[in-house]
Amino acid sequence: MASAPSKLYADDVSLVVVLLDTNLFFWSSSSVSFSQFLSQVLAFLNAILTLNQLNQVVVIATGYNSCDYIFDSALDLNRGIENGRMPAMSSSLLQKLEKFLIKDEQLSKEEPEGRIKSSLFSGSLSMSLCYMQRVFRSGALHPHPRILCLQGSPDGPEQYVAIMNAIFSAQRSKVPIDSCYIGAQNSAFLQQASYITGGVHHKPQNLDGLFQYLMTIFATDLHSRSFIHLPKSVGVDFRASCFCHKNTIDMGYICSVCLSIFCKHQKKCSTCGSVFGQAQSEVASASDKKRKTPET
Amino acid sequence: MPQVKIIAKNFMDMVASLPAIKLDMLYRNQFICEAILRSLPPLAKKYVLQMLYIDDPITSKSLQEWVIADGSSKHKVSIDRLIQLRVFEVIDRKKETTYKLNPTFQTSLRKHLIYGGILPREPMPPNVIARLPTSEELDAYALEQWECFLLQLISSGQAEKSSSFSSSMMRIFQRGFLRQREKEAPRLTESGFQFLLMDTSAQLWYVIREYISNSEEQGVDQADLIAFLLELSFHTTGEAYNLDTLTDYQTAMIKDLADLGLVKLQKGRKESWFIPTKLATNLSVSLADTTSRKQGFVVVETNFRMYAYSSSKLHCEILRLFSRVEYQLPNLIVAAITKESLYNAFENGITADQIVTFLQQNAHPRVAEKVPSVPENVTDQIRLWETDLHRVEMTPAHHYDEFPSRDVFEAASDFARMHSGLLWEDANKMRMVVRAEIHMLMREHLRSQNK
Repeated sequence: MASAPSKLYADDVSLVVVLLDTNLFFWSSSSVSFSQFLSQVLAFLNAILTLNQLNQVVVIATGYNSCDYIFDSALDLNRGIENGRMPAMSSSLLQKLEKFLIKDEQLSKEEPEGRIKSSLFSGSLSMSLCYMQRVFRSGALHPHPRILCLQGSPDGPEQYVAIMNAIFSAQRSKVPIDSCYIGAQNSAFLQQASYITGGVHHKPQNLDGLFQYLMTIFATDLHSRSFIHLPKSVGVDFRASCFCHKNTIDMGYICSVCLSIFCKHQKKCSTCGSVFGQAQSEVASASDKKRKTPET
Repeated sequence: MPQVKIIAKNFMDMVASLPAIKLDMLYRNQFICEAILRSLPPLAKKYVLQMLYIDDPITSKSLQEWVIADGSSKHKVSIDRLIQLRVFEVIDRKKETTYKLNPTFQTSLRKHLIYGGILPREPMPPNVIARLPTSEELDAYALEQWECFLLQLISSGQAEKSSSFSSSMMRIFQRGFLRQREKEAPRLTESGFQFLLMDTSAQLWYVIREYISNSEEQGVDQADLIAFLLELSFHTTGEAYNLDTLTDYQTAMIKDLADLGLVKLQKGRKESWFIPTKLATNLSVSLADTTSRKQGFVVVETNFRMYAYSSSKLHCEILRLFSRVEYQLPNLIVAAITKESLYNAFENGITADQIVTFLQQNAHPRVAEKVPSVPENVTDQIRLWETDLHRVEMTPAHHYDEFPSRDVFEAASDFARMHSGLLWEDANKMRMVVRAEIHMLMREHLRSQNK
């Protein structure tokens, strides 16, 4: 469904949904401390709200087992700003974050060994898209939304299908997904998300200056992006995960009906149920194209 | 007819024209920095935030590299604006110009981003104040005050009560809007009409600008008034603030602002307070050139009939400017756009574009979703009727005939062309039409030819 036309008030009104990675496994082994990171993010959020009276910010925390909203500027700031906006915003955000982290930890069960300690990125991405649908359907004039992902955890291949579905849905609603990766390796999911939806992906070199990166690149409103040089994607990692074992694969088998990817030859497609033909010999079997084409 | 335009001079231009020392003092106030930041064009806002934590000056060339070629005009506009408001300081070295953020501005904005700003006054506790008006009551109050003021401004007989503005103040506001001849009721001038068709926030800023420029003559400092106004826009709508927290000049100004509908004054048993309305808190939104956001009320149909869902006298007056109002019901005004009414409007100096823009900006939400919100046949016809008046262009001229020889004719036509006065010529029959201004020159030339 095409998104409702968003009439812009001024050209630079923005609605930013920030997906904050709070995965404890990542932050306990990261070079920069979570409190330093959070103070820079809070200043960045305040800067966005300062830019225009009509700007809105929503923060969703991405935990290890769950995700939740921890801040919505439209709700929280209607109360008086007697003490100044920053203290009110920070205190409300930090309180909710603390409650969320406690809840998230309680949900941890026994995990099988060897699972990559990734955060529930697919969950928070879906939550933000639901929020945006609510904004679209409210019917009133609204600014054009975008998503900013601050991720450090590695990618979890078991979330591949959910994340790709969310990315295509964002593409259809014309919502750009910006991503800022603060972990050690590269994140294929974030690169693909920004590439497909037309957002910006960047991996800052120096995490002490995160605020400057955020201000320079990610605070740019959608209208100004057509005039400003922004980091272009150098090479995007398009590797997919197989649907059966959730491993990342380069070459595999694809169902010709529903385009699901499998690493080994199957008799029947698990997604659509179509029966495959007889197995061909290894030499003769042509490996199908390894890239999954986006559904439109 | 002459196209007179009201230069709705930007409030920010007035701020930029303050002397440097005063401007620096203004920048010590965090809220003013925020208001000024919001008034900048989007590219300029970005530059300010990017340079906020950079202490060394940046060359203008590296600033230019941030923008792609398409945006170079916007880049130039933004840089000029920043220099005008003295947010950017220009350091001209031998080889290249560099820019640096104004240090006062930089410190204030940094503090504002990290710690947030604290208003100089707090809302009063609920036990002291009597019943606060609800937001609907407050909005209705603001609208009523503003409309009453506007109606009085255009000296319409419809204004029910007069505001407490002194007649000299009203005359200053009306300067340029009304023309009064002897024994006649005052008539609106062209700029007056254009003012009425402007957006509410633009009108509000115009009135405030006039008010502040006028106060300079009465000895009140412009910078203080500007600072108070910008601060006012950061208060919370609907909260009561004690009048004791205001200085003397602010108290004087508050009464005038109440007449405009920006604040509501209330008295309790011991104390009195003021309550900012939406008009006041939306001031900082309308600082930059933004499109209008208020809810429209006009539905235009393809049969040239207009239905305006409004009971406001001001709206009725505005619609009367260019359409024929047929019925006025308690919540609806029915009007028709006719050739006569439009000719009337054009004669008064309103352009077709202004009328079309007004209709589009005030389109009722039901039709605002449609593209186009005003039917094309109506907009096209309005424009056509306007060009009707310009179809024939008249230039005083002289017609020359019966040239003795072709040489004389050609010499004369070259002469006329040199003086850019040749309007028409027929080489076969040796006739030409020349502008009246160079008629005497032509005569001299032809006489000299005859000799």
